[in-house]
Amino acid sequence: MPMTDDRRFYVARSLPDALAALVDGGQAAVPLAGATWIMRAPIRQERQDLSYVAISRIDELRNVEILDHEIRIGACVTHAELATSLAFLPECRAIGQAAGGSANPAVRQVATIGGNLCASKFAAADLVPALMCLQAELDLETPRGPERISLEQFLQVRTSMEPGWLLRRVVVTRAACRSVHVRLPLRKAGDYPVAIVSMAAVLSTSGLVTSARVVVGSVEPAARRWKRLEADLTGCTLDAASAAEKAEKYSEDFRGRDGIEAPGWYRVKVLTSLVRRAVQAIQQES
Amino acid sequence: MSLHLNINGDDRLSVKDPLTPLVDVLRDEFFLTGAKVVCREGFCGACTVLLDGRPVMSCLIPVGLADGCTVRTVESLASVGALSPLQQAMEQHDAVQCGMCFPGMMISLTHFLEHTPNPNRDQLKSALTGNICRCTGYERIIDAALSLAAERSSGVQRDDHGKS
Amino acid sequence: MANPENAVMNLPRRDASDKLQGRTRYTVDRMLPRMLHAAVLRSEVASARILKIDITRARQMPGVRAIALAEDAPGMHGIGIADHPLFASGVIRFHGEQIAAVAADTYQQAQAAARAIEVELEPLPAVLTMADALAPGAPLIHPDWNNYEILFEGAARGGNIAWEATVIRGDTDAAFARDDVVVVESCFRVGRQNHVSLEARAVVASYEDGRYHIETSTQVPWTVRNMTAKLLGVAASRVRVTVPPVGGAFGQKFDCTLEPYAAILARKTGQPVRLVYSRQEEMLTCLCRENADIKIRSAVTSNGEIVGREAVVLMDCGAYGGEQIFLTTMTAHTLGGNYRLGSVKLASRAIYTNTAPNGAFRACNGVYNTFALECHTDEICQAIGMDPLEFKRLNVLGDGDLGATGQVFEGDVLGPMLERMARLREASPDKKHLAGERLYGRATVVGTWFIFVGPSTATINLNPDGSATLVTAGVELGQGTMVQALPQIVAHELGIHPDQVIVRSADTDAAGFDLGVGGGRTTVSVGAASRAAATDVRNKILTVASELLQTPPEKLVLRNGRIEIATIAGSGMTIAQVVQRAHAVIGPVVGSGSFTNPGVTAMSGCAAGHFIDAIDIPVFNVHDCEVAVDKETGHVEVLSYKVVQDVGRALNPRAIYGQIQGGVTQGLGYALHEELTIGQDGCIRQNSLETYRVPLALDTVPVEIDLYEGAPSIGPLGVKGAGEVPIMNPPAAIACAVANATGLRIQQMPLTPPRVLGLLMGNESVVELPHIADNWWDNVLMNPAHR
Repeated sequence: MPMTDDRRFYVARSLPDALAALVDGGQAAVPLAGATWIMRAPIRQERQDLSYVAISRIDELRNVEILDHEIRIGACVTHAELATSLAFLPECRAIGQAAGGSANPAVRQVATIGGNLCASKFAAADLVPALMCLQAELDLETPRGPERISLEQFLQVRTSMEPGWLLRRVVVTRAACRSVHVRLPLRKAGDYPVAIVSMAAVLSTSGLVTSARVVVGSVEPAARRWKRLEADLTGCTLDAASAAEKAEKYSEDFRGRDGIEAPGWYRVKVLTSLVRRAVQAIQQES
Repeated sequence: MSLHLNINGDDRLSVKDPLTPLVDVLRDEFFLTGAKVVCREGFCGACTVLLDGRPVMSCLIPVGLADGCTVRTVESLASVGALSPLQQAMEQHDAVQCGMCFPGMMISLTHFLEHTPNPNRDQLKSALTGNICRCTGYERIIDAALSLAAERSSGVQRDDHGKS
Repeated sequence: MANPENAVMNLPRRDASDKLQGRTRYTVDRMLPRMLHAAVLRSEVASARILKIDITRARQMPGVRAIALAEDAPGMHGIGIADHPLFASGVIRFHGEQIAAVAADTYQQAQAAARAIEVELEPLPAVLTMADALAPGAPLIHPDWNNYEILFEGAARGGNIAWEATVIRGDTDAAFARDDVVVVESCFRVGRQNHVSLEARAVVASYEDGRYHIETSTQVPWTVRNMTAKLLGVAASRVRVTVPPVGGAFGQKFDCTLEPYAAILARKTGQPVRLVYSRQEEMLTCLCRENADIKIRSAVTSNGEIVGREAVVLMDCGAYGGEQIFLTTMTAHTLGGNYRLGSVKLASRAIYTNTAPNGAFRACNGVYNTFALECHTDEICQAIGMDPLEFKRLNVLGDGDLGATGQVFEGDVLGPMLERMARLREASPDKKHLAGERLYGRATVVGTWFIFVGPSTATINLNPDGSATLVTAGVELGQGTMVQALPQIVAHELGIHPDQVIVRSADTDAAGFDLGVGGGRTTVSVGAASRAAATDVRNKILTVASELLQTPPEKLVLRNGRIEIATIAGSGMTIAQVVQRAHAVIGPVVGSGSFTNPGVTAMSGCAAGHFIDAIDIPVFNVHDCEVAVDKETGHVEVLSYKVVQDVGRALNPRAIYGQIQGGVTQGLGYALHEELTIGQDGCIRQNSLETYRVPLALDTVPVEIDLYEGAPSIGPLGVKGAGEVPIMNPPAAIACAVANATGLRIQQMPLTPPRVLGLLMGNESVVELPHIADNWWDNVLMNPAHR
C-alpha cells in the first residue's frame, strides 16, 4: 500500500458521521467495508491516493433483520454472516447459496454485501444476480435524504451518484418462491465464476410457473435479467430440458465479455447448461 | 494514531499507517513471521489469521480495521512445548513439505474443525478453497484432518505429548 | 557391509514441527539490523534501445541509499553461451527486463525512487513468437550473437536460434519410403507453466570483510556464487552463499537470478539489502517451463513396429537462452525415448523471442514431450488399428535396446511396469459410474526422464558424542531429501539412528562444490558423496576400534551406535568411546567423499549439440488416468489416477508418496488449468493468482501408487531420485484420456474448459505449425553434406 497519513483513513462511528466524511472528501473519498476489493487496487494498477471512510464499525449496518414480510440486510453484513442467517429460509435460497459459495471461506468472513453491490468493476459478483432474482431493493442514504431504489436501477446509477451517499441496507420481500444460484468457475471452486444464472420461480399448486425471474451474471460487465426466457418459462411446467432449449435459443440476448480467463462466446455458450442445472435444482426443492 | 490489537493474548500497540495490511504489521512490526506474504490478493491463504475468532486473509485487512480486535496467528496454536492436536496429526501423517502454506492451513483447519466436528472429505476440501499448497497435492493434509476429526468424535483425547 | 534394507524407513521429518508452528525462518523471514529494502525498475516495453538513464531525481528521494545500474555488472552469464547481462545492456529485450535496482530504508521508498528514474527509450520492433523469430528477415534479438563467449562447444546456432541439438541415427528417409508403412504426423503447441513457489525468489545480501555474503532461497548455492562473481566481475572466492529452508522451488530457483542486484547494493551501501520479488514480478518474469511447438512424424508397419521417427521441437527461451539451451538435449531422451525406433532424426531448437526468459521447471520439456509422444502414439494406434496398451507392450524399450542416441538400455523396466499397472487397474474397479451424463475416458501412458547426476561432495564429522555432522551444499526445498533420505543413508553406513545425523545447511564456505538440488539428483549425487564420506569415516573409526578391541576390522560392525564384534551382539564399545580414543590417536574423525557421473556411452556421431549424449540413470513411469468430460461446459474432471514409478530402491516410501501426490497435482494443473498467454505488448497476461489457476484441494484426487523397485541404478543403495518425475506423465495421461472420451484430436495444453468446449464444438482451429518445414533438413542449421 502507498504511504499515507492518518487523514486518509477515517473510522466512522455512525451513519451521519460516515456521510459527513464522504461529503467532505468528495470524489476522492470512498467507503471502506470489508476492504477486500480496495486492498487489491495496486494489483489492478488503480489510483492509490483515495481517502477511505471505514463503515464496518457502524452497528446498524451489520444487522440482518428477519421480519415476517421482509429481510433487511445491513450493507456491512459479510457473506459468511449472510449465509448463516439465511440458512433456514428456503424462500431466499439463492442468496444464501451465493453468499456461501463465493470466493473462499476467509474472504467470505470479511467481504460484505455492500462491497459486492458497489464494486462497479466487479463483473463476476455473486450476490448481485442472486439478489436481483429475488427483487431486492436498496435503501440508500443520499445528500437529499433516504431513497429506496431497485437493484436494477442501482446498477445503472452507482457510478454517477453525487458524493455523500451510502448504501445502508438491502431489502428482500419474503415470498413463497423457490430460488437457486448456479455459478460456474473454471476450477471446482475458488475462482470467480465465468457465468452465473440465478433463478427464482413461483409455482402454482399444479406446478405451473406463475412467475419467473432469471438473472445472468458475469457474462456481461453487469448482471441483468433474461426477460425473454422469463416470459417463456411463465405459464409452463418446469422442465429442465425444455428450459435449456429455450435458453439456447435466446443465448443471442447476451454479448459475453472477453476476459483473460474465458472468452465472451464461452460465457454465453454455457448459459444453456446453467439454466438446465438451475431448473433441475428448483425442481428438487420443496 | 496508534492502534490497539490483542495479538495471541498480548495487548499491542501498532504505529503503522492504518492502511498497512495486517500481515505486514504482524511480520514487520511484531516479528510474528508465521503468517506469510505470498499473493497479496486473498487467493492463496498463506496469510490466514484469526481476527476476532474468524479466519481472514490478513493481506487484505487494513490494520486500521483491526483496531480493538483480537488476532490469533499460527504461533498461538501450540502451547509451550506441545503441538496442537491438529499439528500433531499433520506431523504423524508426514504431511509437511516446504511448509510455507502450513501456517495458513493450520489456522483455516483449526477454525473449521471447531465448527464442523464431523466433516467428510469434500467438506474439508471446500474449507481449503482459500489455501493453496503447491507441494503436497493436499490429500495427506485432508487425511490428517479427517483422522483427527474421527478421533475426536470417537471420544479419544490427545494429550500434550501426542499420545491418545 | 550393512544390509541396504535397513536404511529403508518412513523416517519422519525433523523440520515438520517448526514448519507447523510457523517458526521456520525462510529467506523471506530473515531480518538483519539496518537492513535496506530493494526494488527493481523494469521495462514496460518488450523491445527498445536505451538512449538515456537519469537517476539524479531518484537518488535524492527520501530514504534512498544506493542505485545499481548496468555499469555495476559488466559480466554476462548463461548456459552454453554467455548471452545474459544482469541489467539490460543498451537494449531492452523483454517486458519486465531489469534496468536498475534501488536500495532504500523502506520498500515503498525504493519503489517510489525506482519509478522516479528517468529512462529514455527508442522503440524497436518486437518479435513475440517463435514463428516470427524464424521468419526470413526477422529482426535479430541478439545481433551480436556471434561474439558471445561460448561456454560449451559443439552446437549449431545463429540468428534467433540460440542453440540447436540434433540426433541422427539410421536412415529415416528409407524408413518413410517403405511401402509397408503408415505415416502418421502430429502437431502440438503448449504454453508456459509458472512454478508458483509460495516463497518468491528472495535474497538478503551483505558485504562482510570485503566479501559478498548472500543468503538466498536457491537450489544452487554454487551457481549463485559463481554467477554472481562473473556478473559483478569479481573473483568467485569473494562470494559466500548460505541457504535457509526454501519455501518451494521446483526448478525456478535452479539459477542465479536476483542475488547479484542485492549484492551490488549491499556493497554500495555497506548495509544488508533485502530483495524479494512481488507475486506480480514472479508471475511476469518467472523462469517458466517454456512454451513449445512440436511436430512429430512416424513410419509404422501394420504390426506396430516403428521403423522411423522424425521430430522438430521449437523451444521458446525468451530473451536469453538460459536453461532451454541445456534442455535441447532432453528431446532425444523423452520425445525420442520410451519406444524402440528403427531410425530417428530429432531437432531441438531453442529460439529467442522478446519475451521473459524461461527456465527449468520439474521435468522440464519431458512434460510436453511426453504429452506429444503419447498423443502421437494413440494416433498411430488409431491409424493401424492397434490397442494402445498392446502397442506399448510391443515397443517399449527393454534390456539391450537402443535409445535415440544409441545408448544401450539396461534391464527390462517399462515392460514389467506396464504389467504392474495392468494389475493396479484390475485391482480397483473403474470410476465410470461417476461420469454420469458426461463423456468417460481412460488412458495409460509411459514416460522416461532421467536423473541429472553430476559432481557432488560431502564431509562428515564424527562427533565425540557419537553423532555425525553431514556437510554438503544440498538444500531442503520441501522434497525431504536433506531431512530424510540423506540422514538415512549416512546413518545406515555408520550404524547410528538418522536422528543422530546432523545435516548442516548449505554454505559455500563450508561445503565443497555441488551441482545443485534438482533433476532428482540430490538423493543420488549428494547421497552418493555422503555415502562415500560415511564409508571414509567407517574405515577410519574401524581402524581405531580394531586396535582397541584387538579384532580385525573386517570382523567388526557398526550398529546401534556401537562398534561390535559382528558375531557377538552387545560386545565392543560405543562409537562415542571410540571417537574419544581416536582424538588421542589419530585426531578428530572426519571423512569426505565425492561423486560424479560416470557417463554412459552413446553411439558416436548420433548426437550433436547435446550436453548429455546418454543418460546415466533413466527414470521410467507408467501413469493411468480416468476422466469425465462435461459436453456442455468443457470441464474435465479426473476421476482416478494411478502411478507406477521406477524408484530403484524406496528409502522412504512415505516421503516418495508425498512427492508423487504433489507432482501429479502440479501436472494436473498444467494439463487443465494453468494457462499463460502473452499480450501484444509482450507482457504475460496472467499476472496474479486470480487469473493463473493452480489446483486447489477440490481439484485433485488421491493417487494410487505402486513403487517399482529393482531397476539398475548407480545411485547409493540402488536408489533413483523420485521427487522430480511425478509431474511428467499427467498431462499425457489426461490428454489421452480426454481424446479417448471425446474422440477429439488433442494438440494443446492446457485443456481449459473453453478450449475443450471449443474443440467439442469444432470451433478450435487445428494446430498446423507452418513454420516447421516438412523436410526435416529444412529445420536445422546443420548441412546434410557435413554429416
